[in-house]
Amino acid sequence: MAQEIYFEDINVGDEMPELVKGPIVKLQHVMYAGASGDFNPLHTDDDFAKAVGMKDGVISHGMLIMGFVGQAITSWIPRKYVKKYGVRFAGMTRPGNTITITGRVKDKRVEKGENIVSCEVVAHDENGDVKITGRFDAALPSKG
Amino acid sequence: MADKTKVGKEYPPVTWEVERGKIAELAKAIGDFDSIYLDKEAAIKQGYKDTPAPPTFLTVPMMWSSSMPGVINDLQINFMMVLHGEEEYEYYRQIYPGDKLTGTPKVASIEEKTSKSGSRMDMVTIEILYMDQNGEKVAKARTLLVERK
Repeated sequence: MAQEIYFEDINVGDEMPELVKGPIVKLQHVMYAGASGDFNPLHTDDDFAKAVGMKDGVISHGMLIMGFVGQAITSWIPRKYVKKYGVRFAGMTRPGNTITITGRVKDKRVEKGENIVSCEVVAHDENGDVKITGRFDAALPSKG
Repeated sequence: MADKTKVGKEYPPVTWEVERGKIAELAKAIGDFDSIYLDKEAAIKQGYKDTPAPPTFLTVPMMWSSSMPGVINDLQINFMMVLHGEEEYEYYRQIYPGDKLTGTPKVASIEEKTSKSGSRMDMVTIEILYMDQNGEKVAKARTLLVERK
């Protein structure tokens, strides 16, 4: 769980604590399909995935990886302070991949009376292949 | 290819009652065992009214209602050629168990692009504004679909 954090605690250039997820197993795709309602067989059925051109079988739900990145964010910045979170899906993830999420503070500013920090986040696998690049804004309380 | 005449079109709203169990189920499926998602008392101690929804929860109403597949179908996008390019959320307040959400998907834009390698794609942006049972804004979701041609 995220500890309480204040605007004054954060500086541009600070790194988000790294989060490592995986290795991903196919069972997690089944759990995620059931939880999210995304039953595209590309994520759970190797025969289907191969038939549509994925020679190694199923690929992970992009939204599962976005969920990993969300976990990395809210393990650092409490959920209640996150105001905006967006990602670009940059590459496919497969069972067996281990995903590492890193991030960095790009900007901090006072905007409409809110103390906003903007951070960039990246998820990559054990080979350094990027799966997601993203960004989030959080509005933090001030000590003052 | 995506039907450009449908830019601006709104689709029938999806209504979704948020359940505590679904919040916990999504968190567990992600492998996020933060107590705020699993335990109401722990969440309250950390300043929440109840177990809040994880950041990517709004995919749940869209997928379980089959709304997003329906939109893709209506836009005549080829399912086999579509990729999820981007996803973004703006949160106006926390989502809690018992909330009755209404999300209205809208086609925000459809743009044709040519990649560096020369292949053509349609970039389709769908926006979904979620309101709560009191008519207050809860969140906005933006999904970019990329249809390769």
